[in-house]
Amino acid sequence: MKSTQYSEKVLDHFRNPRNVGALEGEDVYTGRVGNPVCGDLMEIYIKVEDNKIEDIKLKTFGCGSAIATASMVTEMARGKTLEEAEKITRQDVADELDGLPPIKMHCSNLAADALKDAIKNYRDKKGDSPHTAQETQISQKEIVGEKEFLAKGVYHETDDLSLFKDKRILIAESGTRSIETAFALIKLTPRVVFATTTKEVYMETGLKKKFRESGVKVLFESEIIEIKGFKEVEKVVIHDLDEDEEYELFVDAVIIEA
Amino acid sequence: MSVYLDYQSAKPVDPRVIEEMVPYFHDSFGNPSSLHKVGDEATVVLEECRKTIAGFINAEKDEIIFTSGATESNNLGLIGYALRNKAKGNHIIISEIEHISIQNLAKYLEKNGFVVSKVPVDQYGRVNIQKLTDRITDKTILISICYASNEIGTIQPAAGIGKLCREKNIVFHTDAVAAEGLIPLDVKKDNIDLLTLSSNDIYGPKGLGVLFKRKGIRLNPLLIGGGQEYGLRSGAENIPAIVGMKKAVEIMQKDKKKEVDKFRCYRDNLIKNILGKIPRAYLNGHPTERLPNNAHFRFEGIEGEALLLSLKDEGLSVSTGSACSSKTLEPSHTLIATGLLHEEAHGSLQLTCGRFNREEDISAVIKVLPGVVEKLRKLSPIWAE
Repeated sequence: MKSTQYSEKVLDHFRNPRNVGALEGEDVYTGRVGNPVCGDLMEIYIKVEDNKIEDIKLKTFGCGSAIATASMVTEMARGKTLEEAEKITRQDVADELDGLPPIKMHCSNLAADALKDAIKNYRDKKGDSPHTAQETQISQKEIVGEKEFLAKGVYHETDDLSLFKDKRILIAESGTRSIETAFALIKLTPRVVFATTTKEVYMETGLKKKFRESGVKVLFESEIIEIKGFKEVEKVVIHDLDEDEEYELFVDAVIIEA
Repeated sequence: MSVYLDYQSAKPVDPRVIEEMVPYFHDSFGNPSSLHKVGDEATVVLEECRKTIAGFINAEKDEIIFTSGATESNNLGLIGYALRNKAKGNHIIISEIEHISIQNLAKYLEKNGFVVSKVPVDQYGRVNIQKLTDRITDKTILISICYASNEIGTIQPAAGIGKLCREKNIVFHTDAVAAEGLIPLDVKKDNIDLLTLSSNDIYGPKGLGVLFKRKGIRLNPLLIGGGQEYGLRSGAENIPAIVGMKKAVEIMQKDKKKEVDKFRCYRDNLIKNILGKIPRAYLNGHPTERLPNNAHFRFEGIEGEALLLSLKDEGLSVSTGSACSSKTLEPSHTLIATGLLHEEAHGSLQLTCGRFNREEDISAVIKVLPGVVEKLRKLSPIWAE
């Protein structure tokens, strides 16, 4: 079966997704799930009244079936009590859509998970369930290969910027200095990736906007765990802390400033 | 409306080719191996075709081996050479952006005792000769690097690779399927030892390929039988298809310049307009060293399969490097090798034009695409104006 061989119902929900958009307000809760390796990302917004889902909206970045399953889950959950909505499984979503290509079952999984996540966030806030706030502890681990490739693609300082012209650069966040480096380098090369272990890059509001528009690609909650290559740096292994997945990124230089 | 801009995946057979083939199904049906008159006639035709096709890549007539397609040519080239020459060494080098056919052959050879290294590419998808040189050992017997990328269309430095291989006494195989008919191929000038061609990629019939094998290179056959094709590819030759490929070459030789100029014009028109009309759209591949018919984009915030399905609804047949439309759900290894993140590789769109495209097809894409991208971006949680 082709991975894009969809039922008419899937195609209908893909072409005309229901409940697209975001909800705003104090009583709105958001569920967000994603998979950086697969690339899909889904957000479900719910508005709860009297233990029922009064309104629900979605946003999704993904393939045809990711869009269709998100659309379907919003239709299925609307008006249901939280207990009923929680029970919606990926199989339920797929069944309602007259089936999905087997390889695409994970997409419907995302939709049901995003809904569950939204409900969980509601409960956490309302104190219905024990609050499990977790402080992510990022210990400064040594990066495998950092020493081996020092001056062969790994740099601890950036005095000579001309080294980086037209190169694919990865910068490990190290405060203000690394942000300045990113701004300087994006003028010299189209590809600057900025990896931070945190959920956002801390800087003043004006600078934040400038940073977002600069073209620097930011990887949040991402840790560089290994540098690989052959005589010189060729790629890095990045650990996505949010999803606990690892993947490789091809780069020419890695900048780790003190 | 029906617009086809996926010539990289498959091409229609040119009607002039079909016309040329027809008599060889019934009237002239001989087997070149037969010793009678009907067989002799088939031999004459076969050898004429071999000569014309050899001329297409500046090879000699007896350096052309007919196969069932590019996949078989790659198999015969890589497995055939590796097995025959394993006493010389067990190391093979390919690039990170090879077609899946070569990638999987490399895996097969690894399972059979060979060591395979992959040379990375730069952000435009080009192999760096220095990095290739660094990987060569005294065990290296074969380097296989495509003539141009079948996805992003980046043209590889074949002449440089050929020169290096000649100096180091290593055999150079190149899969030239993406490039054939679009840029001149010259096995002598580029020092190529083994080269893969496909008939369909120059508007010939499917089910026929060619492996060019420089004189003196020794291969093990993969198909054993009656010893056709210099004993390297047994099985009675597919004369109608071979005649078709010869005709396809003749048409190409006559019209190529004009045709390539047309493609280049379409391609540049697509690139200029799509990058101009769609915010945060990027060109994948090399800005100049790219196939004249290849335009490859990525759009921030959207996913390629959703884009492809939306364009399908508008009557456009196109291609994407997105994982979601592949069998394995892995994103394009080529885009990843250029340094893109998975989410970026997902939002890609490949447009490849060909002989039967017209100006209207290009205008249609330029008209439809911005709206489709905008609609999908409205759905996207990772898109912000």
